[in-house]
Amino acid sequence: MKDKILTFIIIGIIAIMGNWVGYDVSPIDALPGMMIIVAVTILGFFFAKISPIKLPIVVWVSMLALLVTTPIFPGNASIIKVTEQVNFMALATPILAYAGLSFGKDLKEFKKLGWRIVVISLVVYTGTFLLSTLVAEIGFRLSGKFH
Amino acid sequence: MEGNSLRNWKIHLFVLILVCVTEFIGVKTFNIGIGAIALFPMLYALIIGAIISLPSLKILKMKEMNVAANILGISFMLFVAKLGMLMGPSLPKIFDAGISLGLQEVGHFAGTILLGLPIALLLGMKREAVGATFSIDREPNLAIIAEKYGSDSPEGRGALGVYVCGTLFGALYLSVLASFLAQTGWFHPISLAMGAGVGSGSMMAAMSGALAVIFPESAKDIAVFAGAANLITTILGTYICVFFSLPLTNYLYKKFEPILGRKSKKDQMKNIGA
Repeated sequence: MKDKILTFIIIGIIAIMGNWVGYDVSPIDALPGMMIIVAVTILGFFFAKISPIKLPIVVWVSMLALLVTTPIFPGNASIIKVTEQVNFMALATPILAYAGLSFGKDLKEFKKLGWRIVVISLVVYTGTFLLSTLVAEIGFRLSGKFH
Repeated sequence: MEGNSLRNWKIHLFVLILVCVTEFIGVKTFNIGIGAIALFPMLYALIIGAIISLPSLKILKMKEMNVAANILGISFMLFVAKLGMLMGPSLPKIFDAGISLGLQEVGHFAGTILLGLPIALLLGMKREAVGATFSIDREPNLAIIAEKYGSDSPEGRGALGVYVCGTLFGALYLSVLASFLAQTGWFHPISLAMGAGVGSGSMMAAMSGALAVIFPESAKDIAVFAGAANLITTILGTYICVFFSLPLTNYLYKKFEPILGRKSKKDQMKNIGA
C-alpha cells in the first residue's frame, strides 16, 4: 500500500509536469487539484480493501470521485474548481507511456500467434466500439437528444 | 503486483521524459486524402515507449517491462478519479442520456461476438473462436475462460491470442479507428465517447484522447461519457460475460459453425495452434 501511495504521488508529479508543458498550467496552480485527485484515489483503494462487498478498485475510485463533486457533498464547488486545473489528457499521457514501455514483454508471445488470431482481435475491438457507438447514436436520434 | 517492484526509478524517469517531450510536441494533424490523421502526445508516448522497450535494443529488462505494465494499471486509477470528478457535476446530463447509455452497453458486449464470431468461423477457426470473440479478452475475461476450459484449451488459446494482440496494438488501433470514425460525421461526439468505454484502461484513454483532439469543443463531454460508459462496462463486465456472452457465443458457435466453418481435414490441421 505504501508503495502504491508513493507511485500515485510520482505519477501525479509527472502529470503536473505534462500539464505544465502541454496545457500551460503552472505546477503551483495544478498542485491542489492533483493532491485531491491523488487523495481520492488512495481513499478508493482503501475502501476497496476494507469493504465486505467485492468491487473492482476502479469502481470505488470512480464512485468516490463522483460523490465529492456532486452538489450533495460539502465544498464540491471548490473541489471542482481546483481539479479543473488538471487537464484529463495530461493524466492520460503517462498511462500510454507506461503501456508503451511494457510493449516488449509480449512480443515473444505475439510471434507465436497465427495471422488469423491477429485479424480476429482487430475485428473484435472494432465490433465492441462500432456497435456500441451505433446503438448510442440510434438512441440519440430516436430520442432527439443532442441532435 | 508486488509492492517493491513499483519503485523502479528508471521506468518513472523514462515516463517523465516521454511525457514532457511528447506534450511539448503537441497535437499535429496530417491530411492524407481520405481524411486528416490526428497525432497527439499520448500516441507519441505509446509509440516511442514501445520502441524503447524493444528487446533487441536491450534498454529495458523483461522485469522492468513487467513493472511498467503494473504501474500502467495504477496510473489508470488517477485518470479514473479525474473522470469521476468531471462526472459529478454532469450527472443531470448523464441521466438525460440514460437510455442511450444503457442500450449502448449491449453494443459493447454483443459487438465482439456479432462481428467477430462469423469472421472467425469463415477464416476456419474452431473452438479458438469462442475464446477469441466472447469478449475483448482482458484479464478478468481470461480468468473466466481459464476457469471454465483451462488456459491450455483451444478456447484459452483463442482468448490469450486476442489478449496479447490487444495489449500490444489495441490502444493504437482503436485510437486510429476512433479518429477515422469521428471524421465521417456520421456520429455525435457523445455516441463515439460512449463507444470508447470498451472496458480497458489504456484503450479508453487513447480513444477519448483521439476524440478530444478532433472535437476540442466537446472534450469535457467526451471525458464524461467515455468514463461513464467505461465504468458501466467494468461493473457489469464479469457478470455479463459469465451469464450472457459466453453462453451466447457457444450457442451461436453450435448454430453457425456447420454453416460457416470450413470442413476439410487440411484446414483443420492448419488451425491447430492458430
